[in-house]
Amino acid sequence: VLDSFSQESTLPFREARKRTRFQPVQVWRNFTASQTTESPACGGASLGEMSAWTMGARGLDKRGSFFKLIDTIASEIGELKQEMVRTDVSLENGLEPAETHSMVRHKDGGYSEEEDVKTCARDSGYDSLSNRLSILDRLLHTHPIWLQLSLSEEEAAEVLQAQPPGIFLVHKSTKMQKKVLSLRLPCEFGAPLKEFAIKESTYTFSLEGSGISFADLFRLIAFYCISRDVLPFTLKLPYAISTAKSEAQLEELAQMGLNFWSSPADSKPPNPPPPHRPLSSDGVCPASLRQLCLINGVHSIKTRTPSELECSQTNGALCFINPLFLKVHSQDLSGGLKRPSTRTPNANGTERTRSPPPRPPPPAINSLHTSPRLARTETQTSMPETVNHNKHGNVALPGTKPTPIPPPRLKKQASFLEAEGGAKTLSSGRPGAGPELELGTAGSPGGAPPEATLGDCTRAPPPSSESRPPCHGGRQRLSDMSISTSSSDSLEFDRSMPLFGYEADTNSSLEDYDGESDQETMAPPIKSKKKRSSSFVLPKLVKSQLQKVSGVFSSFMTPEKRMVRRIAELSRDKCTYFGCLVQDYVSFLQENKECHVSSTDMLQTIRQFMTQVKNYLSQSSELDPPIESLIPEDQIDVVLEKAMHKCILKPLKGHVEAMLKDFHMADGSWKQLKENLQLVRQRNPQELGVFAPTPDFVDVEKIKVKFMTMQKMYSPEKKVMLLLRVCKLIYTVMENNSGRMYGADDFLPVLTYVIAQCDMLELDTEIEYMMELLDPSLLHGEGGYYLTSAYGALSLIKNFQEEQAARLLSSETRDTLRQWHKRRTTNRTIPSVDDFQNYLRVAFQEVNSGCTGKTLLVRPYITTEDVCQICAEKFKVGDPEEYSLFLFVDETWQQLAEDTYPQKIKAELHSRPQPHIFHFVYKRIKNDPYGVIFQNGEEDLTTS
Amino acid sequence: MMAIRELKVCLLGDTGVGKSSIVCRFVQDHFDHNISPTIGASFMTKTVPCGNELHKFLIWDTAGQERFHSLAPMYYRGSAAAVIVYDITKQDSFYTLKKWVKELKEHGPENIVMAIAGNKCDLSDIREVPLKDAKEYAESIGAIVVETSAKNAINIEELFQGISRQIPPLDPHENGNNGIIKVEKPTTQASRRCC
Repeated sequence: VLDSFSQESTLPFREARKRTRFQPVQVWRNFTASQTTESPACGGASLGEMSAWTMGARGLDKRGSFFKLIDTIASEIGELKQEMVRTDVSLENGLEPAETHSMVRHKDGGYSEEEDVKTCARDSGYDSLSNRLSILDRLLHTHPIWLQLSLSEEEAAEVLQAQPPGIFLVHKSTKMQKKVLSLRLPCEFGAPLKEFAIKESTYTFSLEGSGISFADLFRLIAFYCISRDVLPFTLKLPYAISTAKSEAQLEELAQMGLNFWSSPADSKPPNPPPPHRPLSSDGVCPASLRQLCLINGVHSIKTRTPSELECSQTNGALCFINPLFLKVHSQDLSGGLKRPSTRTPNANGTERTRSPPPRPPPPAINSLHTSPRLARTETQTSMPETVNHNKHGNVALPGTKPTPIPPPRLKKQASFLEAEGGAKTLSSGRPGAGPELELGTAGSPGGAPPEATLGDCTRAPPPSSESRPPCHGGRQRLSDMSISTSSSDSLEFDRSMPLFGYEADTNSSLEDYDGESDQETMAPPIKSKKKRSSSFVLPKLVKSQLQKVSGVFSSFMTPEKRMVRRIAELSRDKCTYFGCLVQDYVSFLQENKECHVSSTDMLQTIRQFMTQVKNYLSQSSELDPPIESLIPEDQIDVVLEKAMHKCILKPLKGHVEAMLKDFHMADGSWKQLKENLQLVRQRNPQELGVFAPTPDFVDVEKIKVKFMTMQKMYSPEKKVMLLLRVCKLIYTVMENNSGRMYGADDFLPVLTYVIAQCDMLELDTEIEYMMELLDPSLLHGEGGYYLTSAYGALSLIKNFQEEQAARLLSSETRDTLRQWHKRRTTNRTIPSVDDFQNYLRVAFQEVNSGCTGKTLLVRPYITTEDVCQICAEKFKVGDPEEYSLFLFVDETWQQLAEDTYPQKIKAELHSRPQPHIFHFVYKRIKNDPYGVIFQNGEEDLTTS
Repeated sequence: MMAIRELKVCLLGDTGVGKSSIVCRFVQDHFDHNISPTIGASFMTKTVPCGNELHKFLIWDTAGQERFHSLAPMYYRGSAAAVIVYDITKQDSFYTLKKWVKELKEHGPENIVMAIAGNKCDLSDIREVPLKDAKEYAESIGAIVVETSAKNAINIEELFQGISRQIPPLDPHENGNNGIIKVEKPTTQASRRCC
């Protein structure tokens, strides 16, 4: 028996994976607690229940079980978080986690508390808890020791060689171009150490081959200190770190950095316990245990097919669900899902009402392989037992200990748990489920204080759907439990993330953005929901469950929030180089209003500054902990960008807005827009080329509200989000359930019409702000598209007035765009000062004295008349009425009419396919020795 | 994991030639889990495998009316490819196409891949533009050419596959550790073809 289950027995978690590049939704499957074996009655009951459960499951509606699966998933995520984190709550209660642990043990198993405390005493994890320092705390404080990203493989090997088995380092493998976890192996493994690649997805870190992902590196390491999962054994903290009594001590150690490893501080414990010490008292002899470890030791990593995935779920491992999986395999799933349609309250039910309930059940999806498979569930071990098993089994198991440690043999126990799990899952999905319901309430997100702590074997029960508060509640609880206090703000999940954070997601659904799901749209689950609805319609309830899951997952944003916040704090700290940089720049801009020649110039300089600061930060050592430890690599830029908005744009927003307005007032474009806007507003939609349904008054009001909200944002990304919502609304009105697809031919006129109806001059500066300040990498996506369209629509409005202006628009817009394009395509290089739009080189020609030239500041809407005045001053002309501005192009002279705009003419000339050599010349009107005078020069120009 | 390359593709052509129909057909017809609801049909994305890469097309539709012509540069800048659509039953739309090609050559991104789509080939009995003309013209400018029918889903996939093939593969070394690579411009290959 032992042999047949040996493999699983040493695997507290089985990897279960099915990964794609899509946003993974992961699920923590329980570490099935097996402490109930000592009660044969329970075991018997569970067996009975189990069969009922399996049988009933066959007839169960697939949607129902799907729904429950989701529910369970959501709850278990929360619980795992609880396990990982030592919460304040438990501190406040004065409840040592070890005590919690033992209390439960006591109730479940009836053995003494002292023993249990003793049990825990030697474990580094429990140890740390008793010192009120969680493993996470220890890891956070000492990352300069174990997190050595710049260390080479050889150096890492060198460091680890001298260490006892179980000691680890995280460094970056040059070979794999990835972070790796290097683990010192005991000698029987053959090799001195092994590297485990760390996989980084959009939001998470995980070990290659494992289905368990973590929000950051610290949590990952902390987890593997407790449970081995895909590792041959659990990680071990250096003795000095695991026994440090205070944060100060840890800090002291951390100061040594890499030197720690060679310092005397890295003292070894008198008798270092082997990393995978077998548990003895229950009859598993050390030899066989070692054998087990060897079997699984460095077990191979393999991809599993969905059916295998389900197998491993049966084994109580973690399952890994992503929307693609749900879609692709929804049929196997629904076909395979077997849930009990009824449940019998079991003996445990009453017990649980008075004690912290045991760990939640495996989702009933487990059961889909029915009885033959279920036999394998016995291999599950509880997490704490794993700890014991791997590290301190010898201590943990005094002869009196009733708890059966090697679960492999205890078939009944395992199946009991399995059955109980199923029952509980069921209860979560069904009203009136009896005792479990209460439990569910107790453990519901946001409701009960998290009882379980790191290393604790007790778990909150799965929240029942009835007691589950709305999704934010779930999020709240999760984020409350994060290790860092600063993460409490992670509640305000930034919804722009799914859309913009990840380029692959730029096409995320926006349909959900108008609903209550606003706060938490994590695109993938909802996307999949939408897609799936084509194959079978999900009940509303399931949808909301999905949203809950997505809400729960938003807690994975926590490290990001934390990082942004940390950077923002740093930016206010003038003791740091980064803080100085930012503060100086911000005050420089605010105090030197004259330093920019145009709005574009100003915005581009700011953009440039942000990009440079980002580059600095990504390489700087001022960030502690290093950003790489919290944020997956492909997300670093996104997070930094967000941080830049917070520490640079936020303080500058007011200033920038005022300056933009000044610039537009000064160059006349404000006035121009205002006048034209009125003209456009008077036109009916058809005159504007609109042939699709247009938003009515109410919709326009809604849109205006969104635009006004936009004005309050400082983040260009968030502004764009709102713009997208406006566009979505417009589209919804246009399509009007007709099923017709409207392309740009129809959309652009409608957008123009709507923008005109909104009658908001500020939109002009808003659009400019977004266009110039948005992260260039986002400009090719949906945001960039609709931003471009909005810009185009405003250009059309601005130039509506005159036929001539409309013609000129092309060249002018083109020029603006060319500069813009230049900025984007040169990919964050230094923006050049835009001398094109605001300066005009004018030659002054006197009959007797030849030519002199001057560069004049001439804004786009300054007329020739004004330019002549400037010239008269600059060239000190006594009789200005005798002079005029001429354009010399193609060997001909054209006198410019007073009401023409030299900058527009220049723009037109620049935009011609063939470059023309031209000069603006200020000279006497008469005595023109060279050419013909065109009183109406501009028309000639534009028609040429 | 295959690298995803984002390729901006811009759609040009007279109004009414079926620009957006082509894209809608392309994006929605295919069994693809990765398409997601977008705001509207004027911007769509679709990911297709190409060799050992994934090409994610970011398709920018433009308004074809004359009065919006001036805005086109905003849309085609930074494009890796342009799909220029004409209607085989309307000679005028073929003239407009030529204007677009000319403009792209002069102002468009360097090395932009040009694909000409003669749409509405299901109406070939009222055809005004012979396929031969289009082929000759396409050859003269080094563009891909296909006759398509968005209505009957003819040659739509082929059109985009053709574009995919014209996009030079990335240097594997540039791949780095980042799964997502943005490519705004194709490199040399396209231009060689043009000469």
